[in-house]
Amino acid sequence: MKKFILLTTISIIFSAAFSACSPIAAPAISEISVVDDLDKQITLDQPAEKIVTLSPPITEMLYAIGAGNQVIARDSFSDYPEAALSLPDIGGGFAEYDLETIIRLTPDLVIAGDINTPELVGSLEDLGMIVYYLANPSDLEGTFASIETLGVLSGHENEAKELVEGLRSRVDAVSATLEGVEEKPTVYYELDATDTAKPYTPGPNTFYTSMIEMAGGENIGAKLEFEWAQISLEQLLIEDPDLILLGDAMWGVTPESVAERAGWDSLTAVANGEVLPFDDNLIARIGPRQVDGLEALAKIFHPDLIK
Amino acid sequence: MRRLSRPLLLCFAALVISVFLSIGLGSVAIPPKEALEVLWNTLRGTAPSSDITRIYQTILLTLRLPRTILMMMTGAALAGSGCAYQGLFRNPLADPYLIGAASGAGLGAIISLTLGWPASPFSYLIVPMTAFLCALLTVFLVFQLAKVGKTLPVTNLILAGVAVSSFATALTSFLLFNASGELRRALVWLLGGSTMAGWKPVIGQLPFALIGLLGLLIFAYQLNVLQFGDEQARQLGINVNRARTRIVIFATLSTAAAVAFTGVIGFVGLIIPHIFRRITGGDMRRLLPISMMGGAVFLVLADIIARVLVAPQELPVGIITSLCGAPFFLFILRRSKEKDW
Repeated sequence: MKKFILLTTISIIFSAAFSACSPIAAPAISEISVVDDLDKQITLDQPAEKIVTLSPPITEMLYAIGAGNQVIARDSFSDYPEAALSLPDIGGGFAEYDLETIIRLTPDLVIAGDINTPELVGSLEDLGMIVYYLANPSDLEGTFASIETLGVLSGHENEAKELVEGLRSRVDAVSATLEGVEEKPTVYYELDATDTAKPYTPGPNTFYTSMIEMAGGENIGAKLEFEWAQISLEQLLIEDPDLILLGDAMWGVTPESVAERAGWDSLTAVANGEVLPFDDNLIARIGPRQVDGLEALAKIFHPDLIK
Repeated sequence: MRRLSRPLLLCFAALVISVFLSIGLGSVAIPPKEALEVLWNTLRGTAPSSDITRIYQTILLTLRLPRTILMMMTGAALAGSGCAYQGLFRNPLADPYLIGAASGAGLGAIISLTLGWPASPFSYLIVPMTAFLCALLTVFLVFQLAKVGKTLPVTNLILAGVAVSSFATALTSFLLFNASGELRRALVWLLGGSTMAGWKPVIGQLPFALIGLLGLLIFAYQLNVLQFGDEQARQLGINVNRARTRIVIFATLSTAAAVAFTGVIGFVGLIIPHIFRRITGGDMRRLLPISMMGGAVFLVLADIIARVLVAPQELPVGIITSLCGAPFFLFILRRSKEKDW
């Protein structure tokens, strides 16, 4: 009986505590009304003039569509374009964001990215902010859609459309050149090889796989099970890729250091010197630079076709 | 009672000072005069006079105040239940996480993260709630496993706790390994980063933590008697198993509430009771309330450091508690005249 009373008390407190914070929904007719990737209805009276961005790709895309001067603060990792570096830094990463400074800057829109947790989005909304959550796409069409969404939010719809058109024609040019090409080099893309016996490589349903395929290559990681997978060196030896791309080059990995790894010298690509550093930001950062990445990949895979 | 009042008063004064510091300090500098004005106006119910005071009001009352209260309650809950466990298990290494509360909460959090709940205004309370429930369930399981007939041997409790904890931790690691997409969120949670601001976590945590702490205070005398050993406690008229069960329930309630809303913060529950045992002695009727207050002061101060040290970023407060707490504790140990640690 005592247990029952205790449990009932607990459950009453439980329900009382949480009915107190019911959602506030105020549908209003206004100029911009969109649904974000958390299925929240976002309404703005006018295009956002004071934007805080919480993730590097968002900062980059806003600058690319000419909305750079509407960005009033950025997260710690937004290092591109260089102009963004002079903006106030509001933290980020595994450490927390500086909510006080965000409030102090009175943004009319906060744009959160895939790296941000729903908890953070909820906290910001509780503080009275309008937060648009932009999830990561997994192919270039998705990137284009993201650019256009940011165009709507910032009032740079036309610039965004123009940018996307230009990017799309560059993508089409690559596809047209590679049309009918049968010979596709197999590629191992290295994300991290701290453990050289089972390095990390992008798996299926990732930007890496889709872009390598669009550029006329074949990602050997596509056969793996996880999106971010560890491939064993044994598997790598059996697949014996034609090319090795070092996405971890920015952490100091070089073709020479790869050749020195135990067992790696038996790989054909290592013996042939087909180990190339690659700027990982050109794939990992959602945005217009991904098309640069696509062209760079195509040039590596088919140097005779792409000039 | 007289012996209790002075240290309690000192602790209370320290708590008031640290709370004011915590509300006063942050990445946005608010002049003390304006801060007091905002507080005074809010108390009187007058609307903020300008945009800037409205912003100050939000910063002070929806960011700093609830966070301070959250840290206060968490510190009190961890130090209080750590103190109770050290008495209950008669083991100086006991901490609030000993019999599975933290690993259970971690497992719950990861499970609910990987399930991918539909987004809703409540969705960001789902993780702490599942963490809370799983912490209670894990301890309940440990409890049932440790029971022998109607008795509850302490050794069984510890061993079952350790075994169930490592099982839950292994499950957590396995889920983490599989949950590639949610890894970031999960890591944020496991690193003890409370990513929630505002009053919701306080409302969620406060009732459970309070019930747990009050319960422990009420059973402080029984906890005293239990330290003499089962036989003597029985002779003094205590139903050993019932007392033990109650203490575990209340300690778990407050620990689970703490872990669910702030993540796993180490060290507080282990060290604070030891520090105060040196000052007030082992009587739980004194030691428990003082430890709770001390834990609250310690965690509020640690949180201030975590916020200010690498601003605009913040460090997980668990790093600060260990970085500052361990040397301080060793200092106390060395200075203390007792030869016996």
